[in-house]
Amino acid sequence: MNESWVVELAFAAMVLGTPLIFATIGEIMTERSGILNLGVQGMMLVGAVSAFWATYNTENLLLGLVAGILAGAALSVIHAFTSVTLRVNQIVSGLALTIFGTGLASFLGQAGSDPLVGNPAPVVFEPLFSGGITEWPIVGPLLFGHDLMVYVAWVVAGFASYYLFHTKMGLSLRAVGEDPASAEAAGINVSAVRYAYVMVGGALAGVGGAYYSLKIVPTWQDGPIGEAGWIAIALVILASWRPWRAVFAAYLFGAAGRVQFTLQTLGEPWSNIPSTILAMTPFVFAIIAMIVLTSGKRARFLGAPAALGIPYFREER
Amino acid sequence: MSTRRFIVEPRGLASPWLKLLVPIGSVFAALVVGAIFLALTGENPFSVYKEMAEAGFGTTRSVAETLLTATPLILTGVAAAIAFKMLVWNIGGEGQFLIGAVFASGVAIWLGDGAPAYVALPVVIVAGGIGGAFWASVSAVPRVYLGTNEIITTLMLNFIAINFTNYLIFGSTSPWRDPEGATFPQGRPIPDGSRIPEFFERLDYGIFIAIALAVLAWYLLGKTRWGFQVRIAGDSADTARYAGIGVSNKILGVFLLSGAYAGFAGGLFVAGPVGALDPRSLILGLGFTGIIVAALARLNPLAIIPVAVLMAALLNSGPSLQSIGVPTATVTMLQGAILLFAVAGEFLIQNRIRRPDKSPNTAPSSGEEASPA
Repeated sequence: MNESWVVELAFAAMVLGTPLIFATIGEIMTERSGILNLGVQGMMLVGAVSAFWATYNTENLLLGLVAGILAGAALSVIHAFTSVTLRVNQIVSGLALTIFGTGLASFLGQAGSDPLVGNPAPVVFEPLFSGGITEWPIVGPLLFGHDLMVYVAWVVAGFASYYLFHTKMGLSLRAVGEDPASAEAAGINVSAVRYAYVMVGGALAGVGGAYYSLKIVPTWQDGPIGEAGWIAIALVILASWRPWRAVFAAYLFGAAGRVQFTLQTLGEPWSNIPSTILAMTPFVFAIIAMIVLTSGKRARFLGAPAALGIPYFREER
Repeated sequence: MSTRRFIVEPRGLASPWLKLLVPIGSVFAALVVGAIFLALTGENPFSVYKEMAEAGFGTTRSVAETLLTATPLILTGVAAAIAFKMLVWNIGGEGQFLIGAVFASGVAIWLGDGAPAYVALPVVIVAGGIGGAFWASVSAVPRVYLGTNEIITTLMLNFIAINFTNYLIFGSTSPWRDPEGATFPQGRPIPDGSRIPEFFERLDYGIFIAIALAVLAWYLLGKTRWGFQVRIAGDSADTARYAGIGVSNKILGVFLLSGAYAGFAGGLFVAGPVGALDPRSLILGLGFTGIIVAALARLNPLAIIPVAVLMAALLNSGPSLQSIGVPTATVTMLQGAILLFAVAGEFLIQNRIRRPDKSPNTAPSSGEEASPA
């Protein structure tokens, strides 16, 4: 039963969805503070190459993960500076961050006398459990067959959800994203909060990137994450800025990323569907979902932060 | 309130010098950042930059190639500028460029050898514009009538267009695919009557069409009643409504025009150097690069022309880096850094920083400039 294509598809969907969960929840936290960061793709790529570099040189997964986190957060500071301190256009700044990050990641992979490109990671994330429990029908592989990061993603989602809706810090965060002037009046440092959550978003994007280079594509190559960073930005809206919904949305898109392989194994006529058509389906789905779910006032109703993308000018006098 | 070391306040109209200085400074600052990374990886930044400058402008042939690449960049740059001016966040230039190329090559193949060039060529280029406008309409119509966020939809449509272009050549036996290219799938060459004539090396007359279209955009936005209303609506939708300007119509018009310009770029590129719907020659990120061009030119269609030439030289220098063992990604990194500095530089154009203890003249000057990028 565990060899059935349904179980295999679901298993792969969870693996491919895991980096999307990290990146999406990171962007949810950033956007909840009122900052739109379109640099997710760039931060994930720089996280991926940094994590790979650290693990390649130390053969240590944890150090790789830490490197990914630090690199993602460091890159995000640029966006925090332009959008919070300089208050210039967040959309263009985010795009710039993605272009810069894409170039930097690729550069770091190619540069030097012994470039990373083409080298395999010495260690990768391995399944956490072994033995009989992983062979139980359906739940064996799906619940107990994964590596640590799949479970960490659940913990992050649970924690982010609790933090956002049940803690004072979470309330402050949401207040800053909804009405920064009132938040400031209530004694919250709007700029500090925004800096902090832009960096949280960068750190989590770095984790997502690290999971690509140390698990999904464990040999360094240019652009190992595909379009994951852009998908994460769409998932934020589909998850209506709620961490738990991000988990399910990410798994759904993980499945879309795998369905091509599944159809090949099913044989005719399924294997005749062109890969290019399958590759565009997640994006078609995202657009339709966007139009149906988030048009006009419905976006506010779903939970879009009211001050999203709007620079905050503190009263000086 | 408390004692602050500096006061930041909105500037009135920035001087033309500052508007010129900030983009030039952005390029320079990006080169410094690039030099740091190059030096850290053991390269000599000066010899790398010298190599890049020679690859872009060193010979008459390389100048011709640079202008050839600048042709679509001028138009994708204008496409972004038109939209961004009205705060329409069309970041789908890449997709609109490709669908423009699909329309243009499709019409050229459909016309075949029968039509004379003076009929075929305009029809093919206009078809490109229609293709781009059509692809923009997929985002524009929901934006205007349902309020759907266009940032995400235009972005997603890029990836759909990329896959669709690949599908037409690699995934199907469409009319765009060359039936004779048996070993490896490639685009069907469009008839000679639909190709723009070359006049120097590989450079064709498309560059003049692109410049003329950029001037037209400058005229439309700066000198016509329509452009005036668009600028008002871009500054403040409420003011525009109060003045009786139909904001929805303006957004729709601007969005479709923006898409059409990106589509023109696709049409000119197919009818110019590429000559077929060839994904490998078309999917180069020219639509995305248009955003950098527009931002660096501060959304001014005339300034876009020289900026596009500069950016084209940068793009064309990539392969020369490979020959001296420097990562070609240096180009992308520099592009990103240029855009980062350009957008950060807007702060200097829109604000002034002064010491608090100086003049008591705190009244902010009027006529503030609301330039988004």
